[in-house]
Amino acid sequence: MTQRALEERIDEWVLGLASEAEAQALEALCERDAEVAARVERVRARFAALDETAEPLSIPADFWDRIEASLEGAPEEMTQSAPLEPAPPASAEVIELAPLRRAATRWRAVALSGVAAALLMVAVLGATLMTPTQPAVVAVLLDAQGQPVAVIDGRKDNTTLVTLLEAANVPGGQVMQVWTKPRDDGPPVSLGLLDPGASRTLSGENLPPPHPDQLYEITFEPSGGSPTNLPTGPIYGKGFAKSPVY
Amino acid sequence: MLGVARRMLRRQDLAEDAVQESFVLTWRKAHQFDETRGSAKGWLYTILRNKCLTLLRNADREIHMDPADLEREGDATVLEAAFDRLDQAHDLRLCLETLDPQKRMAILSSYILGYSHGEIAGRMDAPLGSVKAWVRRGLLKLRECLS
Repeated sequence: MTQRALEERIDEWVLGLASEAEAQALEALCERDAEVAARVERVRARFAALDETAEPLSIPADFWDRIEASLEGAPEEMTQSAPLEPAPPASAEVIELAPLRRAATRWRAVALSGVAAALLMVAVLGATLMTPTQPAVVAVLLDAQGQPVAVIDGRKDNTTLVTLLEAANVPGGQVMQVWTKPRDDGPPVSLGLLDPGASRTLSGENLPPPHPDQLYEITFEPSGGSPTNLPTGPIYGKGFAKSPVY
Repeated sequence: MLGVARRMLRRQDLAEDAVQESFVLTWRKAHQFDETRGSAKGWLYTILRNKCLTLLRNADREIHMDPADLEREGDATVLEAAFDRLDQAHDLRLCLETLDPQKRMAILSSYILGYSHGEIAGRMDAPLGSVKAWVRRGLLKLRECLS
């Protein structure tokens, strides 16, 4: 297979013209060859702008209930309840829990970034993903335009996972600082600093366990954090926590 | 995401199903995601597009489509609207503009509407061989232009 032909095959696959067999062949090739996989990604990124041209549509009210039901259902039921879908390959049926748990938090964030933009609310997630570190509360932080910019997983042990959904444009010489108001009538308390653009887990001390409707926000502060120990800079994102339903 | 699915599937209920199933699939396949390869958002869209394509390709035998639902109200309008929404300065737009209209239409029809070669040929009233050639040459030009 020459280079040229491969480029053409990748293009047609990304466009949606490849047959099922061809798509599987290319997918297998990506598995084996990271260079090919990277090339496919570049082609996808090239066309991704067209996805943005679709009419934004609001998601129906019962959407999350349906997702939750699907996640809770056994994989077999899933297939049956989706008569339009041909039986997926066996590999799709195998749920490897350990890696899924590791990835769960990140994917919770990603799933949210897609749908939360329409819903502007917090997701309900499936009981299949319960882990010892499951969040007590989840908050989606929105920027001034209402776009989700970060997801907060607040845990009972007072660790807080902050997942940024996009690279933030942090002003020069400043850092991102994460705040919460553990008491509605109390002052904001710093949970810690984020390296610019990096998601991380922060550990709060001497804080009560997070509760629903608790405020979380991220502000830009001078290097080293706010000098007053209260938010002083512009707000990057802000949101209120909800308790996930398990 | 729902907009992308709706544009391809033309039916709100199918589009919702596709988005929902994509999310569930994303959960199940999360461990396969390799962030060094590409963005998470791109991955989600890829899963969604594949789901929609599967639904479309299986439509004949799996979905009872009312012909009225399939009445393609102005493919050209949909494609032009999409093209118009591309950022004026975006490389993809600039390069698509350099293509002959037929090649551009063929490429946009497959990416945006999920049409197969055969469907494009039917809609554009052109021989299948020509459509395949348009797509191939159009993609070649795009690669050259975008590289």
